[in-house]
Amino acid sequence: MENNLAQSIKSVMSDILNIPEELITEDTASDNTEGWDSANHIQLVVALEQEFSISFDVKEFEALLSYADIYDMVQSKI
Amino acid sequence: MRDSQATYEFATKEEQLRRAFAVHVQANNREHTIQYARLLLDNFPSAKTYRYIGKVISTGEVLRLSLRPFRVALLSSFSIEFMQDALFSMGVANGFVIEFYLTGFDTFRQEIFDPNSGLYRQALDLAILAVEGEDWLPEIYCRYSPASPKLGNIKDKFKGDLTSLMTSFRGKSSLPILVHNFAQPSHYVLGIADSSNQQGQECLARQMNELLQEVCKQFSNCYVLNYDNLVSYAGQEQWYDRRMHHYAKFPLSQHAVGVLARAYMKYSRALLGLSKKCLVLDLDNTLWGGVIGEDGLEGIQLGSNYPGSAFVEFQQCILGLHSKGVILAIASKNNPQDVEEVFASHASMVLRRADFSAFEVHWNAKEESLRRIANKLNIGLDHIVFVDDNPAECEHIRLVLPMVTVIQLPTNPEQYSKALLKDGWFDTLSISEEDIRRSALYEQRAQAEALRETSNDLKGFYLDLDMTIHFSPVNAKNLSRASQLTQKTNQFNATTRRYSESDVIGRVKDPAWFLSAVSVTDRFGDNGIVGLMMAYKNEGEFYIDTFLLSCRVIGRTVETAMLAYLSREAATLGVNFIRGEIIPTPKNTPVRDLYERHGFTREIGGENDISIWRLECENAKIEFPLWIKHFDDKTNEQ
Repeated sequence: MENNLAQSIKSVMSDILNIPEELITEDTASDNTEGWDSANHIQLVVALEQEFSISFDVKEFEALLSYADIYDMVQSKI
Repeated sequence: MRDSQATYEFATKEEQLRRAFAVHVQANNREHTIQYARLLLDNFPSAKTYRYIGKVISTGEVLRLSLRPFRVALLSSFSIEFMQDALFSMGVANGFVIEFYLTGFDTFRQEIFDPNSGLYRQALDLAILAVEGEDWLPEIYCRYSPASPKLGNIKDKFKGDLTSLMTSFRGKSSLPILVHNFAQPSHYVLGIADSSNQQGQECLARQMNELLQEVCKQFSNCYVLNYDNLVSYAGQEQWYDRRMHHYAKFPLSQHAVGVLARAYMKYSRALLGLSKKCLVLDLDNTLWGGVIGEDGLEGIQLGSNYPGSAFVEFQQCILGLHSKGVILAIASKNNPQDVEEVFASHASMVLRRADFSAFEVHWNAKEESLRRIANKLNIGLDHIVFVDDNPAECEHIRLVLPMVTVIQLPTNPEQYSKALLKDGWFDTLSISEEDIRRSALYEQRAQAEALRETSNDLKGFYLDLDMTIHFSPVNAKNLSRASQLTQKTNQFNATTRRYSESDVIGRVKDPAWFLSAVSVTDRFGDNGIVGLMMAYKNEGEFYIDTFLLSCRVIGRTVETAMLAYLSREAATLGVNFIRGEIIPTPKNTPVRDLYERHGFTREIGGENDISIWRLECENAKIEFPLWIKHFDDKTNEQ
């Protein structure tokens, strides 16, 4: 059973990157996902910040290169 | 699949609104789609909502056809394309499908100066020039030093720079353009000494905004967006995201994106003549606190102490709208005598009985009241903003009259004014003297309407009105009104061609064109300029390009006098034929039989498509109605 955080993150990623939630896995990363370009990265960062009421500094969000990175970072901030 | 009934019960308000929105898109319900987009954006303003609306609309092929395409060029010193989702979704909430013309950031100068740039190669509705102070004026904003020699001529340099940019733009295009002014710098190098220094950053930034306004004023169809005010209202801290400025060349926070997109919408609506005309208000817990029928004259909250003071403030805000030409009306479920007593004897009432052009106080449904108000004032329901504190009344009107704009008041009265003003529903691009007089004129019209009901026959009604018409050439004095009439008149408008001031000037200067502005006075007062004819001479004929009449004088044979004047003019100029055109729109039913009624013969077209009509001047003379006095201001003849 997937937890709520994982579910919410996948929902945000699916919305921005235009891929179905069920195709997002631990391995989903910017270098293997077509829609994950630099412009969408910005949108993704902003969407995660709004969704979880958190904020990243530039170094932090530059390091968000995969689903796994995002999960760990968001979890550490909420 | 989850059980749909169960999901519905547990659905959050956001989910319910989203679902309703999607259902209306799929069912091609234009008005409800617009309304639910608005509800989503008002209640859940986030990037997520912007994207959701965009995605759903992209699935509604048929619906998209009923929304108006609106093409915007975004010219900017930053990566303004990050605003697209927000702008698109707010467009939907106003009935538009926005298409963007985007250029790379900081290419606005190349775009404007280059005659071959994309900006000039496509049909557009609006250009927006969004430049941040630090990008245009780094000497003031980021490299400031009080000793810098560059400050010496910075005013002349900026003025010259902007003037040449705008001259180049106007030389190639008549597209309306919206220019941001500059927000204040967020920090001052001189610190607390800045504001007492003539060469301080605060003072310089302010002077640049004055120059910007001065330059823009010289160009037609050029409007200044008070960006400085938007930023200061939100606060610099809220507005800017310095992180994204450095990382993505996009300096705005998500909050700023929403506010700015909303501001752009105000201009878009005004440009398309979609400004609202009439504000319909509830009474109990709207104009005063409490319920007059229960609390009595002494018991309602209205006066110098909270919450009464908040209701006084709200009434002052409404009076402000009225003074710039917004028509006021009441729709309230109450005993009429209770309400009359408040207007007659409550010392703290700001609004007077006479400020309202229509008064629907009874126990019937508000739907009926709104229909009657629209009828009485001869305006469309889509020109009405309805304000009520009662969620059930609001919901009912949204459901049965989806074209009415509904503002449901927030819980606390001190928030009322903001709720009424924030979307700028009544904003127009400029305020003419006509606007200011109009609210009074609609009251006269309501009186005239009452007279008509009591007049024995129509001819008696016309005679009683004691009308005088003046036909005047279009000139600098009435140009703005002439253009405004083409923008705003929807019902009695044969062709609904919209003309900017510069379009009108072009035709005034062209000797082939004949333009006449029509003003009407009656026993209730001076209605001002209410009609416009634009025709051009082509070989032996007069072709009527524009024939329109404001709704406040429809049904008084003014159009007959106008055609009589035109045919007399045709005879003077040795013209044999007059041709006119009817372009049907959903609103212009009243004008459809104009030419038929006046003896023109149909040449082309059927009931519901464009038709062309012709009159042979020799055989069919159009007479002035006997009950109208008429003057030709061109020749001073009667």
